[in-house]
Amino acid sequence: MIKLFTRGNIKSLVIILVVVGLIAMAMGGFLTPLFNLSLSPLISSQSWLSMRYLAFREFFTAPKDVASLRERNTQLEVDISQLQSQIIELEERLSEAQILYALLDFARTNPQHEYIAATVIGREISPFLQYIIIDKGSNQGLKHGMPVVTQQGLVGRVDAVVANAARVQLITDANSVVNIHLQSAKVEAQLVGSLTGEVALEMIPQDITVEPGDVVLTSGLGGNYPPNMFVGQVISIRKRENALFQTANVQPIVDFSSLSAVLVITNFEAVDITPLIP
Amino acid sequence: MPHVIAGLGLLASLMLQLGVVSRVPLLSGTADLILLFLAAWGLQERVKNTWLWTIITGVIISFISAMPFYVPLIAYLAVTGISQLFQRRVWQTPILAMFLVTFVGTLFQQALYILSLQVIGTPISWSESLNLVTLPSLLLNLLLAIPIYAIVNDIAGRIYPSGIDNEY
Repeated sequence: MIKLFTRGNIKSLVIILVVVGLIAMAMGGFLTPLFNLSLSPLISSQSWLSMRYLAFREFFTAPKDVASLRERNTQLEVDISQLQSQIIELEERLSEAQILYALLDFARTNPQHEYIAATVIGREISPFLQYIIIDKGSNQGLKHGMPVVTQQGLVGRVDAVVANAARVQLITDANSVVNIHLQSAKVEAQLVGSLTGEVALEMIPQDITVEPGDVVLTSGLGGNYPPNMFVGQVISIRKRENALFQTANVQPIVDFSSLSAVLVITNFEAVDITPLIP
Repeated sequence: MPHVIAGLGLLASLMLQLGVVSRVPLLSGTADLILLFLAAWGLQERVKNTWLWTIITGVIISFISAMPFYVPLIAYLAVTGISQLFQRRVWQTPILAMFLVTFVGTLFQQALYILSLQVIGTPISWSESLNLVTLPSLLLNLLLAIPIYAIVNDIAGRIYPSGIDNEY
C-alpha cells in the first residue's frame, strides 16, 4: 500500500493549502491593502523608468523636423493670443461705439441743443459727494454750469472746468437741487440728492395727488437746467398729515453707477441768480 | 530717485483711486488709497520726504476734489502726522502701527469731511454718515492696509537699502 502521509506529501499538501488560502483571500479582497502597499512604489518606479525610456527613445527616433514643428506651434500660440487680445479690444471698441451711437441718436432727436460727447474718466475721491470727472474741458468750450445728459436723461451739471477736463456734479449729490415738474400732476417741485445717492422730491403741495410711475421732468425754473429733460419716475410717496408738503422718492432714469460717456449741452448757459437771493 | 519713486507711487494711487477704487463702494463708503499710501509711507523709518509729498498730494487732491479747498490737505497732513507719531512709538510692530494709523486717520479724515460739509450747508447727518460712509470706508481701508503696507515697504526697502544713511 502506498503511503499517503509521507513527509513529502504532507509538505506538498501544506504548500497547496497555503497557496489556495492566499488565492481565496486575494479573491475575497482581503489582500488588497497589502497589494496596494507593495505595488505603489513599484508602479512609481515603473512609470519613472518608462517615461525616461520613452524620452530617450524619442530623442533618437523622433523626426528630424520636430524642432521646426515646435517652433511653428509656438508661433501659432503667439498668434492665437494676439488674436484673442484683438478680439477683446474690438469688443471694447464696439461697446464704446454702441454708447456713442446712442448718444448721437439722442442728439439727433433733440436738435435744439448743441452737444459735446465726453468720457467719464473718474469719480470724486470723497465718498460723501457725488461727482464725476470727464475728459473735456475749457479747450473744448465747456463752461461752469453747463447741463450734462445721457441718451436716457439728466445727469447733472458742470461744476468746475480746467483745460482738458471738467468736474460734473450729479443730480444725486447731497448739495444738488433741481427744479422739476411732475408731468401728470402739473405741479412744480424740487428734486434733491442725498448722501447715499438717492433722489427725492420735496415741496410738493399736500393737495396734489402724486402716483407711483409719474414722470419727472426738469421745469427750467431757476435757469440751471433746460426745461423738459427727463429725470426719472416717482416710485413712492410720503405724506404726513401735519406736514406742509409731501415728499416722494424718485428712481432716476440714468444708472449713475455705470456712467461711461455723457453729453454736455454747450448752447445752454446757466443763469446765476445768487445775487438775487437775499 | 526717491522723489521720483514717491511721486510715481502717489500718482499711481491717485489714478487708481479716481478710476477704480471710487467706483467700488461698500454701501456708500469707499477706500482711500492715497490715505493708505501716505500712512504706509510715513511709517517707513528710513523715508525722509514724507511731509513734502503729503503737501503736494494734498494740494493736488484739493484741486481735483469737490470738497472745500484745503480740507483734503489738512486730512492728509493729519494722517502723516499720526503715522510719524506711531512710527516712533510702536516701531517694533509696523503692521499694528499701520492698522492704528489707518483706523485713527480714516476716522479723523471722515469727521473732518462731515464737519466741513455741514459748515458749508450740505444736509448730511452724523449718524447717517457714520453708518453708511464712515464705517464701510473704515472697513475697506483696514482690508487694504496690509497689501498697501507690504507694497510701500518693499518700495521703500528698494529705494533706501538698510545700512545706508540718506540725508534730505
